[in-house]
This record gives sequence, C-alpha cells and structure tokens, in this order.
Amino acid sequence: MTVRSEATRLDLDAILAVSEANREPDWLRELRRAWWQRAEATPWPTGKEEEWRRTSLERLPRDVDLLLDPPRAEIRLDESLAANGVVFADLRDAVHAHPDLVRRALSAPDATTHDAPDAAEHPLQSVGSGEWGPGVTEFDSHDKFWALAHAAWTGGTFLYVPADVAVDDALLARSIVDRGNVAYFPLTLVLAEHGARVTLLDEHRSPDGEPVWFGGVVDIRSGREAYVRYANLQRLGDATWNIGAQRVEVGPSADVTTLNAEIGSAVTKVGLDVRMTGDGGTSRVLGLLAAGDDQHIDINAFQDLAASHVTSDLLYLSALYERARAAFYGVTKVRSYAKQTSSYQECRNLLLSPEAGAEPIPVLEIETNDILRCGHGATAGAIDPVQLFYAQTRGLRPDEAERMIVRGFFEQVVHQIDSEPIKVRVLEALAGRIGTADVIEGVA
Amino acid sequence: MALPNPALSQIPDSYKYGWHDAEMKPLHVMKKGLNAQVVEEISRIKHEPEWMTKLRLKAYRHFEARPMPTWGGDLSQIDFQDIYYYVTATDKAVQSWDDVPDYIRRTYDKLGIPEAEKKYLAGVGGQYDSEVVYHNIREDLEKQGVLFVGTDEGLQRYPEIFKEYFGTVIPPNDNKLAALNTAVWSGGSFIYVPKGVHVELPLQAYFRINTENMGQFERTLIIADEGSSVHYVEGCTAPTYSTASLHSAVVEIIVKKGARVRYTTIQNWSANVYNLVTKRSTVEEDGIMEWVDCNLGSKLTMKYPSIYLLGERAHGEVLSIAFAADGQHQDAGGKIIHAAPNTTSLITSKSISQGTGRTSYRGLVKVYPGCKRSKSTVRCDALLLSDEARSDTYPYMEIDEEDVTIGHEATVSKVGSEQLFYLMSRGLSEAEASGMIVNGFIEPIVKELPMEYAVEMNRLIQLSMEGAVG
Repeated sequence: MTVRSEATRLDLDAILAVSEANREPDWLRELRRAWWQRAEATPWPTGKEEEWRRTSLERLPRDVDLLLDPPRAEIRLDESLAANGVVFADLRDAVHAHPDLVRRALSAPDATTHDAPDAAEHPLQSVGSGEWGPGVTEFDSHDKFWALAHAAWTGGTFLYVPADVAVDDALLARSIVDRGNVAYFPLTLVLAEHGARVTLLDEHRSPDGEPVWFGGVVDIRSGREAYVRYANLQRLGDATWNIGAQRVEVGPSADVTTLNAEIGSAVTKVGLDVRMTGDGGTSRVLGLLAAGDDQHIDINAFQDLAASHVTSDLLYLSALYERARAAFYGVTKVRSYAKQTSSYQECRNLLLSPEAGAEPIPVLEIETNDILRCGHGATAGAIDPVQLFYAQTRGLRPDEAERMIVRGFFEQVVHQIDSEPIKVRVLEALAGRIGTADVIEGVA
Repeated sequence: MALPNPALSQIPDSYKYGWHDAEMKPLHVMKKGLNAQVVEEISRIKHEPEWMTKLRLKAYRHFEARPMPTWGGDLSQIDFQDIYYYVTATDKAVQSWDDVPDYIRRTYDKLGIPEAEKKYLAGVGGQYDSEVVYHNIREDLEKQGVLFVGTDEGLQRYPEIFKEYFGTVIPPNDNKLAALNTAVWSGGSFIYVPKGVHVELPLQAYFRINTENMGQFERTLIIADEGSSVHYVEGCTAPTYSTASLHSAVVEIIVKKGARVRYTTIQNWSANVYNLVTKRSTVEEDGIMEWVDCNLGSKLTMKYPSIYLLGERAHGEVLSIAFAADGQHQDAGGKIIHAAPNTTSLITSKSISQGTGRTSYRGLVKVYPGCKRSKSTVRCDALLLSDEARSDTYPYMEIDEEDVTIGHEATVSKVGSEQLFYLMSRGLSEAEASGMIVNGFIEPIVKELPMEYAVEMNRLIQLSMEGAVG
C-alpha cells in the first residue's frame, strides 16, 4: 500500500490514481471508468423530481477533496467461518484476495439487472417461470449517486456467505471518516448465496463540525432461501451530508430485513430500492429516526413487488426534536404479473417540538387485483397528553415520561431486531438523542 | 386533430344518457379555437362590465404562459384549438318550465328533472351547453333573500357582491386550467345565502355538453354568509361523441363564520370527456364545508376539491367515490389546508377499478405552524375488479406543527372469490353479486347523497357491472 494519506479533487484522474495506487486489476479500473461516465451523463437532481422536492442539494459540500485512504473498516471474522468460505473484509483487500467474488458483487452500468447469486445454478428466468422475475425497476432518482460511489469508492465492506453456510453471530463492521472537508463514497457489498444465513451491522461515523460529503452505497443480494439481516447505524457528524443509496435484491423464498437507524448527519437523503424479484421472497424494511437541531432526514423507498407470493413490509418511525424535519416518500409497486402478494408501508412521526416538521408520503401503485394484502398508513402528531399525564401520575418527571414514551414508540421496530448485540448498539446510539440510562433499560 | 379514443369502443350502445339532440340550433356558435379576440368576443356578447373583460384577458395570458401539467393523467391529446369556446342555445334564462324550448325539455325529460323537482327540490338551474336556460326558485327562498341564478345573470344583477368574491378563492393564475376557465367561463350557478338563513332542501343544477368538441367552462360561486347553510347538488351526464370534449369548471365556495355548505357532485360524463376541474372553498371560524364527490364517467378526470380552514374550529370533509371502467382514468382526491388552530378534517375515498380502468387517489393534508390541536384523518380504500385494473394512492402530508393528530390509512383489495361464490350460491348472477359487493363498499358515502341520487348511483354501478365482470 503506497497511497499517501492526502486528499485530491473528485474527478476521473483522482479515481484512476486511486485505482493505480491500490494496484487494482484492469477490469476494475475499466468498471470505475464506465461508472464515472455514467455519473457524468446522469444529471444532478433539479429539485423538481418527486423524490427531490423536499431536499435541496444547493449547500452540499461538493468542492471538498476525495478521501483517498480512509482507515480500514474494523472487521472481525471467526477463523472457522473463513475456513467455510465466508469472506468478510475491507473491500480494498477483498479485491485482491477474492477478485472473482468482488467482480460478481459489483454492479455494472450496462447491466439492466443484477446477476442473481448462484446464477449458474439458478439462472435468470423469464416472467412466469416462477423463479426470478425480470428485475425491472423504475426507481432511478438516486442513480447519480449510485454511479458516483461505484466510480469513486475508496473503501468499504465486502461480505460473502457461501451456499448453506450459517453465520450465527452478528458480524460488525465499523468505519470512521477520520477527518473533515472530504468526500467519501464507501461501498457495502453483501452477497448471500442460496440457503446462506448472515447478520451484519454496518456502522458509519464522521467528525463533527467540518463538512463531509458522505455518499455511502449498499448493495445486498440474496439467493434462494437466503436469510439476511442488515442494520445500518448512521452516526455521522453534525456537518455531514449523507446522500446515499441502498439496493436490496430478494431472491426466491429469501428472507431479508434491513434496518436504517438514522442518528447523525446534517442532511440525510437516502434512496432504498427493494427488489422483490424472486417468488416467495420476504422483506422487511425498517427505519428508526431520532433527529434534532436543524437535522433534515429525507428517505425515499421503492418496494418493487415483481414476483408472486412475495411479502414486503416497511415501517419507518421518526422522533423529531427541536427544528428537525423528516420527509418520507415511498412507493409500493405491485406489478401486473406479481400474484398473491402482501405488502404494507407505514410511516409514523412523533413531533416533540413546535418547530419540528414531518412530510410522510406513502404511495401505492397497484397493477393487479390478485393481491392478498396491500395497504399503507402514515401519522404525525405529538405525544398523547393522556399518556404523558398517566406516566406522571406514576411518579415520573415530564422529561422522563417523554423519554419513556418515545422509547415505547420505537419498540415497534426495536422488537423486530433479532440480534441482541445490534439491538444494544442501536439503542445506545438512539440514547444520545432521546435520553440516557432508562432508554437502555429493558434490553436484557 | 383528436386521435381515436380507445375508451369509446367500450361504451355500450345502451349508454343511459348517450343520445344526441340533433335538433338543437345554437344561436351563437363561434369558430373553434382560442385567442384574445375570442375571449373579448365572449365578454362582448355577454355585455359584461369592463373589469370582467380585463380579468378574462389577464387570465388568458396566464393560460398561454403556463405549461400543461405533466403529472396525473395523460393530457397529451387535448388540442385547445380544436374546441368551441362559446355556444348557447337560448339567449335568456327562463323562469317557467313552459317557456323552455321543446327539444331542451325533451332532453330534461329523459334526465327526469321535472319529477325530481316535483318531489322535493328547492330550485333547478339546468345548464344546457353554456347558458342557463331554466330557473326556478321557490318563493319562500326568494323572500329570505337567497340568490340562486346563473352566474352570468349574477354578474349582471348583483355586480357588487359578485365582484367582491369572484376569483378570490381561485385566482386567475392558480393553474393553467383555472386560467382557461376564467378566460372563457360561461354559465354555472351563483348562490348567495344571507346571514342565518338555512336552505332546507338541496339546490340542484344539471349540466350537459351537447355540441361536438364543445368545451364547457362553467363557473360556480357560492357564498354562505354567517350562520347560514346550503346544500348544492351538481349532476352531469353527456352524450357520447366520437372526439374528445373538454370540461373545465371552476367552483369557488366561501363559507363564512358558523356557516355550513355541502357540495355534492355526481359526475357521469361519457367516456370521451376530459374533466379537469378546480374546486376550492375557504372556511371561516366554526364553519363547515363538505365536498361529496362522485366520479363515474369521463375519459380522464383530474379533480381535487380543496378546503382552506382559515378560522378556528373550522371543519372540512371530502367524501370521494371514483369508479373507473375500461379505458377510464379517475385521478381524484382532495386537499385540506389547516391554517388555524383547532381545525378538523376528514377525507374518505373509495375507488373502484374495473377492466383496464385506473383510479388514483391524490390528496394533501397540510398543517401550518401554530395550528395547534388540528386533527385530520384520511382513509382511502380501493377495490380492484379485474386483473388489468390499476389503483394508485398518492397521499401527501406536510405537517409543520407539533400539537396535532394526523393520520392516513389505506387498503387495496379485490372482490373475494368466496364472497362472490356465496352470493351466486344464493341465486345471483356474477354481475349482480359484484354489483352488490361494490354497492356495499361505497355505501358509507352513498348514504350521504340525497335519496334519488343514491338510488341512481346504485343503479349506475349495477349497469356498469353487467357484462363486464368475469
């Protein structure tokens, strides 16, 4: 490793220099070049697009330098798992140790759809064959940032779980941007083959006070009957702009839950693209948001029900303090050829200050009548004064009562986190905003 | 040049109101197309005051400057130069049924207006093309000072009150189609209910389009003064024609302190009509506004009745039924703006899609800062009757006040095969069974309609079901 820890401008030269310094294979350099061209060809959001009406990029720190050599993610992997073929590493190292796997996991700008995991064994099939749907998507509002990250990533996390291998304990990856005035585009790639089981906590931090453009991209692909739990713990600094994208492909009979806990950042704008392309797949898309000060959190979600007998439920909960503002614009799309699907989209907002604001917009687009269940709900409001009063009659101070009620509000998502270490990490992170000791209470 | 409309092939020969009165001889028919001269000419024919001519021209400039909306339905086939902007059958509104020309009376007979009136309607303002041709207000209402006249007549006879309110709820530059309406409006109803007067029976007007490519741009203005109440019913049917018609109305309603207005619409344009309507009301303190909006017909409807709750404790409700048969797109919903504390609102929407029909619920609930203890509930349910049917829900919410209770819920479902099987085992045909299920689905809103409309609504649903399910 000879990359000097110095920053430089975000352009193709810098990207190719990174690639050179990391002695990346030619195919990867060309892939970066292709993604850069795609990023250049994709216009910036203008604010007129439906997904971009609620967040302006005017003050995004675009002129900062590219972070060339971020600290390696803190990663630990049991040796016996490595012996079973599980790969869990910093993406820069995985490129050299497992080039073929990384090449499979990295999406390419010319591909209209992902290769399914174990594509050789379960090839992509046309609609109606009952295995993989066509994988079409109309969710393109975050394409610019997807392309930028694929061109300019300088760090990230790579997780590969071979077929029928179960990773019992949660894997933890923690990455820290160690200085301000930088742009950083980490990639998290998860490839779970058929029957694989894995749980990953992906935690990101950056320093307070100095502008950072954080463009994290997450790409999760699950094969047939795979079981994936992914939690993203966003604890970025108070001057960081978090403009990210996440894509989840749920294979036949696979079961994938993602959780985004949005704690930090000045502005967060994340697009979640959940592709239910395998028959019988299940996804849960969970979100916890605790925001205060002048934080602005804007989530777009696209649940694409593009196969039969799939289930996709989304639940986003926001607790908004001070002048914080949460926007949520989600679309559940049920394709005409997707039969017997179940889906729900729910966004609830607790407004804890007169200046807080919320814009929950859950959209449904249903192209078939052959559905088992489809619905959505959205609420916004203050804490029920009756609840507050009751808690106070039991001897709690008003601030204690409020914390307890917020904690209870979050329980609807928290109880769905089936990994104890992840639950503890998430609650610890939330405690910074919603209160301290009594928030941790109740975690066994 | 309008393209062939695929929806038309779906219109059954027995379309209930699909006759065309060949005898009608328009007195004024302008050429097709729109420019500033046409706008001036309309105003001149109507002998309007100068301020109205100027307002029309100003609105026309807004219309020209504005781009076509790109959201909602497909508007690409509307050709504004292929539309008549002013047609009238009679020059004057008449007071007695006997004075109504024969061919128009026959048309109304088919619609059943005289019977309806005999039963219990307070007054009838029937609109045949662009002019109000028939008016009758019960004497006791007149004595109470209630004004219920054609909008053109309102401008001539009550210029002061007209000028005070016209265009104040929906300004000429509000949107492209409201600007178009302001430029070329003709007909509609003008209603003023004085302080403390309760109009016990619903006021009613029928609207019809009867000239090929005839655009109809009626303009309705309702003012309910303090402590008064009124229920206005608007029902539409249209003949079936081979090229698309445009219907672009503007309805403005002012609900003063403690007043209550209900505005009921049964929209049943034939499936070649673009129905692009702007409806909005303002509500002062303790006032109540209710939109009951039933959309059954048209090729494409884009209509979102709005309520601005401006005074404390004001209440607004939108009850919406949308039924989209083959080839139809109903893009309907409602908007509620909470602009004062302690305001409450309710939106209930029931959408049904059949064949290749598409329903979209599009709504907004907005709460401004400081509107404490505002409460709003939005409930949208959709029923899909076929594999190809489509249903969308776009519920916008902008909440800038903490001390509020705002909720939205929606479900989408299909007619259950078990429900159908059970009803058919009791001897009903599939169409009858489906109709019964649909009628049950919309019952919470239908029960809010005047009885004759409720009966007709159920019958229309039943007709739509026949031969179209399975």
